[in-house]
Amino acid sequence: MTDAELFAKLQEVDARVVQLPNCRPLAVEVPVGFLLAFMGKLKSRPDLRFIQLLDHLAMDWPEKNEFELVYQLYSIEHDLLLAVHTRISRESPYALTMSRLWPIAQYQEREVFDLFGILYEGHPDLRRLFLEDDWVGFPLRKDYKDYFMLEMPE
Amino acid sequence: MTGQSSYVLTSMDRIMNWARANSLWPLAFGTSCCAIEMMMSSMASRHDLSRFGAEVVRPTPRQADLLILAGTIVKRMAKPLRVLYEQMPEPRYVIATGACTISGGPFTYNSYTTVRGADEIIPVDVFVPGCPPRPEALIYGIMTLQKMIKTGEAYGQPYQRRRPITAALPPGMTQAQLQKEIAEFLEAHATIDVDKAAHNNRWEKERY
Repeated sequence: MTDAELFAKLQEVDARVVQLPNCRPLAVEVPVGFLLAFMGKLKSRPDLRFIQLLDHLAMDWPEKNEFELVYQLYSIEHDLLLAVHTRISRESPYALTMSRLWPIAQYQEREVFDLFGILYEGHPDLRRLFLEDDWVGFPLRKDYKDYFMLEMPE
Repeated sequence: MTGQSSYVLTSMDRIMNWARANSLWPLAFGTSCCAIEMMMSSMASRHDLSRFGAEVVRPTPRQADLLILAGTIVKRMAKPLRVLYEQMPEPRYVIATGACTISGGPFTYNSYTTVRGADEIIPVDVFVPGCPPRPEALIYGIMTLQKMIKTGEAYGQPYQRRRPITAALPPGMTQAQLQKEIAEFLEAHATIDVDKAAHNNRWEKERY
């Protein structure tokens, strides 16, 4: 299946998806409001069957004042790869959890929460994964400061 | 050795240092990519570290006396590293390989985890620069440490440590040149002329 055919099928699922330019494999952007319903259809439709969540990651854009969340999906039946992007506000970093669709998302969301501080609503156990429990702040945010960190001299 | 007699005039320290330099037992402590080069130099057949008397890589610090720091040291690893160092019997020596263990390397600035230099945690004898250093560079660093031990520069006692030295390969040196140099070194130091040795044998002389 080519990228154009896959994107046509995604538009059948939801007409509001936007294709991101110059991305291989195909990357689409979805507003955060109906992300969970969109992902559920991607997993359950028999001609798509994205039953594997390969990776979940976040990006920090301080000048746009938003976080970008990326979900990397893979369909074992049809051998398809897809990246689903969504954007949330930096002031209220709330997103719905994907752990009911893909249980592995529990660990991936704990990692993103650990390093970016994104709060997943409905997550059964949202704790830090890598850093100490008493760590203050979220170190992969661009504005993170620390007594230990050394500033790059100009 | 003095001529025909059969006793050796030397100090105890020199014998001890000679023995220590030729039987270094490294601890298998690899935290990132430099560990691949350490495995290449210590176990792989092309760069065999056992030619220089340092091949018995031990998994426990109680049996090791050389700590080869291979890889980035992060804040969470600093405490276990210090414990490992304290568990090693004296005299103990430390080689730090790679840019990360020397200064923090690419993670010096704007990093929230990386310790900027392993000598902030434990005393280091020899630094081996590189990112990561080639197996030849690590072997060169171990040979430098052996030289230091033999001359008494790195006497592994607490509070008696000199400043660490940097053992960098000369710039522009290729692998073929270095292997040729090591081969010549080994040939000069490990070859026995059988005829000459037999001729000097006292029993042989008495028999004929």
